[in-house]
Amino acid sequence: MSMSYTVQRSTKASRVAMTVGVLIVIGLALAPYWASRGDLRMMVEIFYYLALAQMWSLLAGYGGLVSVGQQAFVGLGGYMLFALAAFGGVNPILALVLAGVITALVAIPTAFVAFRLTGAYFAIGTWVIAEVFRLGFAQVSALGGGSGMSLPASIVRSIAESRSGREHLVYWIALAIALGSILMVFLLLRSRWGLAMTAIRDSETASESLGVETYVTKFLVYVAAAGMTGLVGALIFLQKLRISPDAAFSVQDWTALVIFIVVIGGIGSIEGPIIGVIVFFLLREIAADWGSWYLIVLGGIAVATMLFAPRGIWGLISDKWDINLFPVGRRLITEKD
Amino acid sequence: MKRSTTITRRGLIQSGVAGAAVVSTLSFTRMAHAQDGMIKIGFVSPKTGPLAGFAESDDYILEGINAAFADGIEIDGSTYGVEVIVKDSQSNPNRAADVAAELILDDEVNLMVVSSTPETTNPVSDQCEINGVPCISTVAPWQPWFFTRGGNPAEGFEYTYHFFWGLEDVISVFTEMWGKVDTNKSVGGLFPNDGDGNAWGDPELGFPKPLAAQGFELTDPGRYQNLSDDFSAQISAFKNASSEIVTGVMIPPDFTTFWTQAKQQGYAPKVASMGKALLFPVTVEALGDAGQNLSSEVWWTPTHPFSSSISGQSAKDVADGYTEATGRQWTQPIGFAHALFEVAADALKRSGDPTDYDRVRDALAETDMNTVVGPVNFQNGPVPNVSKTPLVGGQWRLGGDFKYDMVVTANGDAPDVPLGGDMEAIS
Repeated sequence: MSMSYTVQRSTKASRVAMTVGVLIVIGLALAPYWASRGDLRMMVEIFYYLALAQMWSLLAGYGGLVSVGQQAFVGLGGYMLFALAAFGGVNPILALVLAGVITALVAIPTAFVAFRLTGAYFAIGTWVIAEVFRLGFAQVSALGGGSGMSLPASIVRSIAESRSGREHLVYWIALAIALGSILMVFLLLRSRWGLAMTAIRDSETASESLGVETYVTKFLVYVAAAGMTGLVGALIFLQKLRISPDAAFSVQDWTALVIFIVVIGGIGSIEGPIIGVIVFFLLREIAADWGSWYLIVLGGIAVATMLFAPRGIWGLISDKWDINLFPVGRRLITEKD
Repeated sequence: MKRSTTITRRGLIQSGVAGAAVVSTLSFTRMAHAQDGMIKIGFVSPKTGPLAGFAESDDYILEGINAAFADGIEIDGSTYGVEVIVKDSQSNPNRAADVAAELILDDEVNLMVVSSTPETTNPVSDQCEINGVPCISTVAPWQPWFFTRGGNPAEGFEYTYHFFWGLEDVISVFTEMWGKVDTNKSVGGLFPNDGDGNAWGDPELGFPKPLAAQGFELTDPGRYQNLSDDFSAQISAFKNASSEIVTGVMIPPDFTTFWTQAKQQGYAPKVASMGKALLFPVTVEALGDAGQNLSSEVWWTPTHPFSSSISGQSAKDVADGYTEATGRQWTQPIGFAHALFEVAADALKRSGDPTDYDRVRDALAETDMNTVVGPVNFQNGPVPNVSKTPLVGGQWRLGGDFKYDMVVTANGDAPDVPLGGDMEAIS
């Protein structure tokens, strides 16, 4: 009795998801014409958290790089935006892109340091690096030192003439960044780097013995994620209008909440962070005014998820119905002759 | 999938607000009976987190404000209901910016009020300035509010206003207190690397210049990070300079650490005048009996000779009411939280049309009134958009209804505020 088999990437579910996804993206792109100003702002926030979550999920879920120091790059991106726009006279939109590039460049030497550590030591090491960044920027008096600085109103106005023009432009940039982050993870995973990363995720030692260049792969992913995170950081502080070391390098806002989103959504998938970010914002809308109880509820949910559904909500869904919305995996279809 | 969340969001907010009104004490809504419109005032304050002490009295103040506005306020012959929407900054400047934007864009507030430290007032003021919503802030010295927001004394800001005292006042009050005790005029300074510490320690605008001018010799060992656990370097610097006075602007846990270590290492200054750290009785109580005669800036006490323009209550009435309602000792932010709404109501009444941001802003700019914390006038401040309130100095003394009482011991700049006792050296 012989078996024949085929390797399948896209499934019916993923093709349907693609169609629905395109419709959703079109709807979202038109949001300035149907949503209120408050909704637009909220969606910008959702988009940047989604991008941060995709990056963290890429690092931890595929690269095995559990970083608790991503706020280093969020803060760096934010500060670069302020420095370039306020002192360099660079157009804020161009500064946004440059901030991402500079952050990626800074991530290269950072990676050399951080990669000397592995596992839990790596996690703590990245946090330490972020603290060094925070303390470093607190010493730069031109950027306000420990007090921080505000983005001058004239610079904000230089983005676009009218207030709605400004808000719409920022919205589209945020949407592009969110989609860009999803696309980046998707393309990375479809490439040969993705295969290498999946192998590293499953067993670093085994993959290395099979000839996977683990160091180079992880290095590349780390730097790419840092660049994207820096770009998101610049966008965040373009929205906040004010930066200070404590706000820019906040471990709670830019890493702990992002880990929460990825953990409840489902780590190591593209769908997980999308679901996680939706759940997080629903919770926040309902519970943010409960004071300390809000944080206790978030913590409780995270603990319960880790205990009872370690692969998050998406893990439960994909286990039950065996679906993948993004065709990044491979499945073996066997037929008996 | 993403789209459906944004659509259900409206419904969620509504049910959330309804739920919050039942469950929590954070949402205060009061409808007037006969009304021609509704005025929404957004209020951002640090209800939770390390700054929560500042917001402790908010619920009590809002109860009084809501009662006073229960029948609405009359503006140009029309009666408007008043709704105060409260948001918690969680003591986080990022969150403060977010909730301010929510109040502006979702709730469409007509006026914003914000209180408690530059970490809260500045991000909220920035959001209001760029969105063109009038904003009143307080409880942050005016320099960190004005200068770190990029304020230009020639231009000022368009929509944001601030009332509080400034560094020049705290310097004047501290040196007045130090002059009343026999010392060698050697001062040790503890300035952290944060919004307040950088402003206080600034060589041009901070303590160093005026102290030198008055013959005090300042030893400043440099900026330290908040939440330090070792002040040995500072203590030995002060011992070497035999500083009999110690000053600075520390956060409460750092002062507790510093003071305990100073005792252990045998450093016993005659005067300790510390900004920010000693505002709340709970911090002093935590020191046991070692809190006796520590001194602090005093922005408001029940003995301040002012009364509310809304309720007519005296400062003492407001403070006593708080103690009666909560069983807790009065704290300084109580008066300022109340005064925020006094300034707000006054500007709204004079605006002619409270729904027009620019008219409210114009009315705000012309503010000239008396509040429970003293006169507020945005025409004659040290820089545009700022009004200064009087500042005195005081010492914590054991005894009275609570473990420690705040006694005013220096009133040179505000002689209307009665002295409660003489300045004493720490024994």
